[in-house]
Amino acid sequence: MFVPEYLATLDPFAGEAKKLVESSPPLDSMPQEITERAIARVRWQRKDMLVEPSIEAIRADVLSFYLMCQGVAAVSYPYSRETRIISDATKETIKYRMYDLFKRGHEDACLSVVQRSLKLVQLEGGDGTEIGGKKIPREDFFKIRDGRLEQDGIETIDDRLLPQYLPKYAVRWMDLAPLLRHRRAELTKLYLVNGWAVITPRDLWDMFADFISVKTEEYVASVYEKFSDTGVPSTLLVKVGEGISSLLPPEIGIRGRFAGMPGGKLRPESFPPCVKKALAGVGSGVRNYAITVLLTSFLSYARASPSGRAATRLGDFIKDISVVRDEIAAPIFEAAERCNPPFFKDQPQEKANVYYHLGFGMTTEPRLQESGRSKWYRTPNCQKIAMSAPSLCDPDELCKKIKNPLTYYFRKLAEHARSGG
Amino acid sequence: MREATPEERRRFYAEEWNKREIPDFILHTLSLREFGFDLDGTGPSNRYNQFMTVEQLAEFLRNRAPYSAFSSVALYEHPSMRKGWLKSELALDIDAKDLPLRSCGCPQGKVCERCIDEARRVTIQFAETLRSDLGLRNVFTVYSGRGFHIRATDDSIMTLEQTERAQIVEYITGSVIPSDVTMALGYSKVFRERVARTFKALSEQRLLGARGVRRTLVKKLMAEKEQVVAAIREGKLGKLHDFGGMGPKTFRQLLEFLARLNSGFTDGKVTIDTKRILRLPSSLHSGVSMKCVLVRDIEHFTPDEAIPKFVREREG
Repeated sequence: MFVPEYLATLDPFAGEAKKLVESSPPLDSMPQEITERAIARVRWQRKDMLVEPSIEAIRADVLSFYLMCQGVAAVSYPYSRETRIISDATKETIKYRMYDLFKRGHEDACLSVVQRSLKLVQLEGGDGTEIGGKKIPREDFFKIRDGRLEQDGIETIDDRLLPQYLPKYAVRWMDLAPLLRHRRAELTKLYLVNGWAVITPRDLWDMFADFISVKTEEYVASVYEKFSDTGVPSTLLVKVGEGISSLLPPEIGIRGRFAGMPGGKLRPESFPPCVKKALAGVGSGVRNYAITVLLTSFLSYARASPSGRAATRLGDFIKDISVVRDEIAAPIFEAAERCNPPFFKDQPQEKANVYYHLGFGMTTEPRLQESGRSKWYRTPNCQKIAMSAPSLCDPDELCKKIKNPLTYYFRKLAEHARSGG
Repeated sequence: MREATPEERRRFYAEEWNKREIPDFILHTLSLREFGFDLDGTGPSNRYNQFMTVEQLAEFLRNRAPYSAFSSVALYEHPSMRKGWLKSELALDIDAKDLPLRSCGCPQGKVCERCIDEARRVTIQFAETLRSDLGLRNVFTVYSGRGFHIRATDDSIMTLEQTERAQIVEYITGSVIPSDVTMALGYSKVFRERVARTFKALSEQRLLGARGVRRTLVKKLMAEKEQVVAAIREGKLGKLHDFGGMGPKTFRQLLEFLARLNSGFTDGKVTIDTKRILRLPSSLHSGVSMKCVLVRDIEHFTPDEAIPKFVREREG
């Protein structure tokens, strides 16, 4: 039997994991062994994923997980390729660990973790299985099994593996909402009866691993927002982030998979309400904030999608100054013109201030090699916007879940990419 | 179904409108909803209204006798600013005039009793799936005057976002081809039922529009429509391969065509819009002089139950 803390290796967001983090030194003072583990997590093969059932091994696993997430948040943005790669790696890790525990007879321990997130019942099997008073035909059980085997590309199966493919549990479909939201599950692919989805052990591992994977993405977004508030992340986090970025496969090879993800032209339809308002032009009270502070930082970070190293110079992430002039500054200047009264008419010096906020110093003729002359300002968090320019803040549903306008944008792009839009 | 005059609207709200006809699910959350009004038939431009009590709403209706009255599916902390979104009903709009297949031949934009009845049957199917498959308990149907609204208020679904709601639309309408179309329960069954209904209502002319399905096959399928519908319902879709010209590719194209038609039986935009306003049950649909009413027994419902007094009187 293993220690109760072992459950933290299945759910790094569980109370057991949080306690371990709280009782450890700060993340940015981690020893090299943990730092290396944080980077190595994205390359783990099966056996690497398993953790010894000792407190110190569990602690190392949990700390390296958080270091990995914070490292990625330090050098990229929510839903970036880096975020995706650690999210996928986490999914594979959790899935394999669950498989391993089941195989070793610890199904109950797994279920106790799963049941914190999903309401789950075990089916009796055989002819008498009912869900909410509705009998499940035996033929359907076999069809669910066959469908799952087909999904995994398995044509012949031995008795050892077969139980993983037999319907064994039912979960409330409503509890799967986070997976449906991120298109990690599809309602039309579930076998639903009376609000319950009938699933196999394989499905359960997949679903739970997807849960943790989605939470990982959300955690990276929240850390990214925190960095937007508190400034530059520590050197160690940047080092871990850069280490993970260096392991990304070349972009060409994965273009299909990441189609629609950031790094290309701006997609105004995915902008948050405050940015849309600022782009439409605003009144005299908030012009300065809307144009110089919000639009300048938002459009530059959204367009450059800084990734792979700490974002200190816009010039590190774009190759041609025309991107700054035509795709970032031009819409800012157009929005300024739409203000009432037009912003640059009575404050022409603010045009240079836009480039200053982009990091090119006080100029109206920016050059790529001058990037870094001044500070490249980060996009303010929603709380700051609501305080400094309340009229810009007209939150929609998604706004409630994010703390920075960029997270809104990147999340929308990620959703579009997943839904094939 | 002629338009109500301003005088008839005034009479309706002064003499016939009854607050007891507002369903409990709206009444109990009245002060958290945004109300919108079309005061003169030009559209619901009077928005951002909040009523703290039903008496305030009653007074507004009596005084203004609006052309149309609406309330939000959303509950807000501040309905008069449409801010502080709390949650939203799951709503489906089955508009008789927009059904993708109508057997009556009504011109576009018009409806007859037959269209309404077809919309009623679709509504029954959708509501039943919400209950039996999705396990929802609080599913209400409302006759809007020209179709039906399904409004589900189970707490568990009210916080869902657009993506999940879009997936519910796909499920309910049967607009995605399942990996296994033969299962006795679950989405497989829903899909078959929807496809069978759609195929039954399909004309030869319409089926000829299906890409990849040849004219000779269309004629054969139409000639044996009843058997085709029965085979689909029973999950014996293999039988369709017995028709000459129905290879696997054509079969897939036929299913894709039917699934696409299925998706048109409700306006998905309404369902995913968590800030939508819907016609207020108890109010008057002045465009057709019918009451918008909560339907208590959809199986036996006829629009006669929604005819206002002034229409009965003017028709003698």
